[in-house]
Amino acid sequence: MRNVCVLGAGSTRYGKLDDSISDIAAQASADAIQGAGISPKDIEASYIANVFGVADKQVHLGPVLMSTLGIPDRPSLSIESACGSGSIAFREAYANVAGGFYDCVIATGVEKVTHTGTNWTTTYFAYCSDFFYEGQAGASFPGLFASMARAYIEEFKITEEDLAAVAVKNHENGAKNPKAHLRKGITVEDVMSSAVVASPLKLYDCCPFSDGASSVILCTEEFAKSHGKYVRVVGSGRGGSPAALQGRERLTTIPSTKIAAKQAYEMAGITPDKVDFAEVHDCFTIAEVVDTEDLGFFEKGTGARAAADGRTGLNSDIPVNPSGGLKSKGHPIGATGIGQVAEAYDQLTGRAGERSVRGAEVGLTHNFGATGASCAVHLFARP
Amino acid sequence: MTPKERMAECARRGRFLAASCSKCSRTNPCTARFCPSCGSPDSEPVEMEGTGRVATYTIITVPPAGFEEHVPYAFVVMALDGSDLRISGFMAGISAPADLPVGSPARIAGFDERGIILERT
Ligand SMILES: CC(C)(COP(=O)(O)OP(=O)(O)OC[C@H]1O[C@@H](n2cnc3c(N)ncnc32)[C@H](O)[C@@H]1OP(=O)(O)O)[C@@H](O)C(=O)NCCC(=O)NCCS
Ligand SMILES: [Zn+2]
Repeated sequence: MRNVCVLGAGSTRYGKLDDSISDIAAQASADAIQGAGISPKDIEASYIANVFGVADKQVHLGPVLMSTLGIPDRPSLSIESACGSGSIAFREAYANVAGGFYDCVIATGVEKVTHTGTNWTTTYFAYCSDFFYEGQAGASFPGLFASMARAYIEEFKITEEDLAAVAVKNHENGAKNPKAHLRKGITVEDVMSSAVVASPLKLYDCCPFSDGASSVILCTEEFAKSHGKYVRVVGSGRGGSPAALQGRERLTTIPSTKIAAKQAYEMAGITPDKVDFAEVHDCFTIAEVVDTEDLGFFEKGTGARAAADGRTGLNSDIPVNPSGGLKSKGHPIGATGIGQVAEAYDQLTGRAGERSVRGAEVGLTHNFGATGASCAVHLFARP
Repeated sequence: MTPKERMAECARRGRFLAASCSKCSRTNPCTARFCPSCGSPDSEPVEMEGTGRVATYTIITVPPAGFEEHVPYAFVVMALDGSDLRISGFMAGISAPADLPVGSPARIAGFDERGIILERT
């Protein structure tokens, strides 16, 4: 396999956006191309992550995007893996460059759903569950993670305030991110008094519904060297879990995260303590707690306490979600995994401004689909 | 009938349809077409008592379409008695965590447009 690099990244603001799905995808892609200092003609193939294009009357986004970028003859692949679509498209792009099929490709993720309203979005997102056992029985995504949260609270005797600390920290980071959806500081008290969505999770335990797009350019190291600033992809892992929560051995861990992380760490030849920051899938506060344990930063059962003790803050033991995470930066589901890579690129090339992790050399991204039924973990390093 | 239809038919009678692996004898839900332990396609159907205990649950106040009139309701994951299998489903009439401590006894009580229906016993 060849070394693969990320050469440029672009993102729209995340939030409620007015422009169409193809416009926001084109905006992020154009920013990535220009940021990389390449011509669109350098791009040999594209990987497009999207889940609900149907909501904005545009599926088969790839050719539409390639036409807009002036390269209609380049092949594209659309990838749907629920909320993990972005990182999984990134992985396919990575594998194709590493495997020698292409020297330079683009991976773009996009979602546009907020115009459909709370009920439509809640309903359609539930189709990402194992529908026969979960969505059909009235489970929403907040409800599925709330079920994990209750199991976790029972097993490890933590409090809802401990979970709230995750949201407070992510809002603090997101307030420093000009592209974040929810840019305001909140307190544990704000979380505790927010409306219950699916007990024990409240509004401020949840990520919002967001629109947005993110895009990155992947290429060989040889190609990268003759262009702009780049970072190396040093580890890539994928994993799966039983689609329904009921089929998992434990309700307080996500097997696909562990499988993907093990592969990525082994490929990079490093252990979790060598990671300087991590962008993890915090669709709900409980998810970040479980992720930080499954990724090997904390012992099982201690992640919530660690967050409450401030060990995951911006320049602490292991900065988690310096971007603000899904919770504050927002969660346009097809874009999120690529947005995490864009954040890792910005952090490792000194473009993260106020939210920079000091002296960061190695960054991790972790993104999953549904309740972690599919997952990808990547590791990045400065060259 | 597909495995899901058979699962639903059993649930209407308050029972759970498992499949006992002919090769390694692990018990799986009948919807598994190959045994997750050993990969065997061969199994014998086994009807189990649809009783168990609440493993975890949530009470939903922001519902998906079709569930508006049921709010608040619970989505419950139940551990089945006498096995390491769990089954999840819809439970009506739960409005506060005090209504349903984890570990509460429950049972399969039917199947309709809300999927597998569970109730407290
Ligand atoms: C929690 C939830 C039901 C709220 O619904 P919504 O349609 O986003 O709510 P609205 O747009 O009506 O927002 C109402 C207000 O709450 C704010 N808000 C919405 N979601 C928020 C969140 N998650 N955290 C903090 N504030 C939030 C909005 O900014 C808005 O404030 P404003 O009135 O000052 O503008 C919804 O965001 C949700 O289900 N989130 C989870 C998404 C999900 O499951 N993703 C997949 C995960 S795997
Ligand atoms: Zn078997």
